[in-house]
Amino acid sequence: MRAKLAVYWTGSCGGCDVSFLELGPGLLDVLSQVEIVFWPALVDAKRQDLERLPPRSIDITLVNGVLRTEENAEMVALLREKSRFLGAYGACAHLGGVPALANQGNGILEAVFGPGFRPAPPFPEAPEDTPPDLLPEALPLDEVVPVDFVVPGCPPPAGLIARFFEAALSGGLQPGQVFAEEKALCEECPRVREERRISRVLRPHEVLPDPEKCLLDQGMVCLGPVTRGGCEASCPKAGMPCTGCLGPTPKAGDPALALLSALASLVRAGEEGEAAFPEENRILDGLVDPIGTLYKYAFAKYGRPLRRLARRREEVRA
Amino acid sequence: MSEFEPKVVAFLCRWCASAGADLAGTSRLPYPPNAIPIRVNCSGRVEPQWVVEALKAGADGVLIGGCHPGDCHYVAGNYKTRRRVYLLRKVLAELGIESERVRLEWISATEGARFAQVMAEFVAALKRLGPLHGNGGAR
Ligand code: SF4
Ligand code: SF4
Ligand code: FES
Repeated sequence: MRAKLAVYWTGSCGGCDVSFLELGPGLLDVLSQVEIVFWPALVDAKRQDLERLPPRSIDITLVNGVLRTEENAEMVALLREKSRFLGAYGACAHLGGVPALANQGNGILEAVFGPGFRPAPPFPEAPEDTPPDLLPEALPLDEVVPVDFVVPGCPPPAGLIARFFEAALSGGLQPGQVFAEEKALCEECPRVREERRISRVLRPHEVLPDPEKCLLDQGMVCLGPVTRGGCEASCPKAGMPCTGCLGPTPKAGDPALALLSALASLVRAGEEGEAAFPEENRILDGLVDPIGTLYKYAFAKYGRPLRRLARRREEVRA
Repeated sequence: MSEFEPKVVAFLCRWCASAGADLAGTSRLPYPPNAIPIRVNCSGRVEPQWVVEALKAGADGVLIGGCHPGDCHYVAGNYKTRRRVYLLRKVLAELGIESERVRLEWISATEGARFAQVMAEFVAALKRLGPLHGNGGAR
């Protein structure tokens, strides 16, 4: 019997839905073993169709995207009820992803639409259709419903998608499974680590990196030491630092703070000592936009609690 | 109505700052009793994640006390910590948390008076900033 599959997108760029094509011919094998019961990007189906399904009648549901609106939250709750296994697919559902950097700001709508922005007054009578309200914060999937497994990545790399379907279609899905390595990305990166000293912190556009040497050693902010392996280090191989899309290793904890710690350990302005402090600071100032760089995907999961504390105080003062 | 009393977590290195705090105590120097001291072998052992954990768990400020430059028992632990704290304070500021809530101070084993003074200054600064959590237990 074919496994019943659902794929749903919430606040997503669409890349996750496209990523299945990375399986190449392998996709045909997968499709021959599943029955698609709900997948808005591929087949026409409405919320009512989903509502009509009996509870736990979908074998596997993959949700991609951050939860940004009330409707997102309602839909994943509905999918949870209808599914035996429900997983976060991609960095946004897993950790909040890039769109969850919105949690940094207060008054995001005012920032986008200008100081005079006001929400429209409510309609005198209930209109037939209105856009859903925004949630107060952009959230990863597991903040709203229990999540059984994670296929991480932005988007998930082909090898990990294949690994996931192999397990799922042979009945070998384990609760809590994350389809990536527990070891750090550096372990699978071919770049050579030797000079563990940094005398500058550079952004990708500021340097043409040496093809062989570790990017972190060359002053680029590479999240390899704190990120799960599983993508075969595809970004460092192409000369770009890892931005952490597979999420932190269990050992790293908060990826931004863990990398900040590693980076600070490597920075040197000549001989260490009081005389070097100003120059060390100047080097560390090369880390512009620390939140966007270090928490690129994981802000909703790790940075948000502190941001929330700060925001509450701002509200109390206002 | 009682005044807001800031909660402070103080990570003190065993060889200098913690010995300095002990000296302040045995010398019976008065200083505000707001800190929960945690002795670590070296300030270089203090992970930024511990500092943030303390803030999340209810502290209004975190003090890290280490040996003076050149005196670290492990040679360079305090230099590493200085760079970490520099970056951590930047991250906190971007999150909207006042960077003054995390303070790094050099305190030697003979500087009991300096420890008392640092505590007094820090607690005063935190009172000016106000509580990080709710109303800080003030009634
Ligand atoms: S380039 Fe990045 S992933 Fe590769 S070894 Fe260096 S830090 Fe690790
Ligand atoms: S190198 Fe890093 S950012 Fe690039 S795909 Fe792998 S985990 Fe994601
Ligand atoms: S032992 Fe005191 S700072 Fe290292």
